[in-house]
Amino acid sequence: MSTFHSKSAKSFLKDEKYSSWHDKTFWSVRQKRDAMAEKLDEWEQLREKASRIKLHTLSHLDKYLEEFSGNAEKNGVKVHWAADAAEFNEIVFGILSSHGVKKLVKSKSMLTEECEMNPYLEARGIEVVETDLGERIIQLKGQKPSHIVMPAIHLNHDDVGELFERKGISDQPGNHDPSYLTYMARLSLRGEFLSADAGMTGANFGIAATGDIVVCTNEGNADMSTSLPKLQISAIGLEKIIPDYASLAVFQRMLCRAGTGQPSTTYTSHFRKARCEDGEMHIILVDNGRSDWLADPAHREILKCIRCGSCMNTCPVYRRSGGYSYSYFIPGPIGINLGMLRSARQHSGNLSACTLCRSCETVCPVKIGLAEQIYSWRQSLSGLGTFNRSKKLMSDAMSLVFNHQGLYDAATGAESVMNIVPRDWMPFGLRFPRKPFHKLVKEDDK
Amino acid sequence: MTSKERILNKCAKAADGAFAMPELDDIAAVEYPDPLKQFCATSEAVGGKVVELADNQDINELVRSLFPEARRIASNLTEISIADTNPDLVENACELNGTDLGIIRGEFGVAENGCIWIPQTMKQRAVCFISENLVILLPRQNIVNNMHEAYKRISFNDYGYGTFISGPSKTADIAQVLVMGAQAARSVTVILI
Ligand code: SF4
Repeated sequence: MSTFHSKSAKSFLKDEKYSSWHDKTFWSVRQKRDAMAEKLDEWEQLREKASRIKLHTLSHLDKYLEEFSGNAEKNGVKVHWAADAAEFNEIVFGILSSHGVKKLVKSKSMLTEECEMNPYLEARGIEVVETDLGERIIQLKGQKPSHIVMPAIHLNHDDVGELFERKGISDQPGNHDPSYLTYMARLSLRGEFLSADAGMTGANFGIAATGDIVVCTNEGNADMSTSLPKLQISAIGLEKIIPDYASLAVFQRMLCRAGTGQPSTTYTSHFRKARCEDGEMHIILVDNGRSDWLADPAHREILKCIRCGSCMNTCPVYRRSGGYSYSYFIPGPIGINLGMLRSARQHSGNLSACTLCRSCETVCPVKIGLAEQIYSWRQSLSGLGTFNRSKKLMSDAMSLVFNHQGLYDAATGAESVMNIVPRDWMPFGLRFPRKPFHKLVKEDDK
Repeated sequence: MTSKERILNKCAKAADGAFAMPELDDIAAVEYPDPLKQFCATSEAVGGKVVELADNQDINELVRSLFPEARRIASNLTEISIADTNPDLVENACELNGTDLGIIRGEFGVAENGCIWIPQTMKQRAVCFISENLVILLPRQNIVNNMHEAYKRISFNDYGYGTFISGPSKTADIAQVLVMGAQAARSVTVILI
């Protein structure tokens, strides 16, 4: 018996060379994160503050949402509210079509992915161009991201080189050097920026006190997308609002250190207004389930997530099974949890993709109890009398990932063996989610 | 009921006000014995270059010597005489494409991460991103230790836009190999004035 995850992991592991590269690559990102954290004596203090700021903001979310939208409107920004993905897509299309937009350039946004905005717009005649290099690559390939920060991590330079040859982006067949390919993508995307009618960004943070949308990128593509066209749309999930700049300082310091092991992203951009007098800036605040999750005290803390990617980088199961082994579009520990909140019925198979090693909890900059949450979901399954079955699924999945030959190297071997045994099984057992699983199954997919 | 009302109502019901805002002034944030030295080291580490303007040295001569091949130079700074394009006078931002060198002013630098605060001070902020190479003039006494200090200090003007820039545009999206020059400036040179 196997879950979607264990089946997919099996095929991922067939390519030993690649799967071992994947494992090592993410472990080295984890080590870069550690080096960054160790440089700051205040790191653990920052994590505690970050967690508390989020808990505070979430427990006063209505007030901060009103403050944010009020300030944005004072800045001349048009603020829209979308209850769900359908409304979000309609709003975006409404803005674009009323401006006669034919081409939209956009920076990376997991929210637009969540709402499946690109196919919606494309079906209505609007060309959408992803401008983050990784997102562009998978868009050209017709694929989905396999990691929230490194979306094309499942492809190697030959895959990208061949893709660029096919798409006419590169002009030297056989040249698969990453510097050359990046340069050719730069030239191609430059043409897209120059001919776009509107630019779109996601948001890492929304600042209630000022109405700013804050976007962090390494490529500068959010800034390119919004400094050439005159129309800007920024999409933000409700949970991305934080109180003020003092709070932002805490998150800005942690986001990139935790995610990629850099001291900062190259660009931390603050958008407050339309860029010129005859331009427009729109912000769309998106709920799409978030207010329901906020009302669920057992799982509310998932909303603290700042999408740094750190929990997947460190996760021994993610590293050895890849992003496509999960049924939800966000993989890793946070994806398992978000998938369960989105639809327990559709995504409960992902619960098998966790050893309860709690490595994710050690690195999460906002201290989400990711493994504890997963454990509590498993307990809800046991309430339905399916626990033995699911435990069987889990142990099958784990033995697959952990007993596979050729995956262990000196750097991770010792740690991996430790990971097989859940450390704090017992204390978790005392916690139960407030909603029984059968109720969740009935309520999901609303 | 509009979606706004529905969302706010739901949040108001769910948000129980249980958690107070934590104190943030007590964060024991990193400070450096020589913030300028740390800023220079961090800037290099993130792929930037730092050059000092010597006493009595002409800024235009220095920039020329650093970028002898630059043909199209864009700047709205009054002390820059070698620019042939003024981003204040450009009607369509796309006209800035093909700029070899953009020269802008930074307000202050951050020692811990090499960030420089750049509020928009020109009509076409595209010059900060679209230029192949970017030079940022930064007063050497304006260095703060960390982002807590930085966020106490930033201010906005009527343009309503500002960004922290830390080194050149970069990506590792192809096979995790770090490449400078993704979509925006391929090199960033900070000139300490
Ligand atoms: S759960 Fe934590 S570690 Fe994972 S992406 Fe979110 S903030 Fe980062």
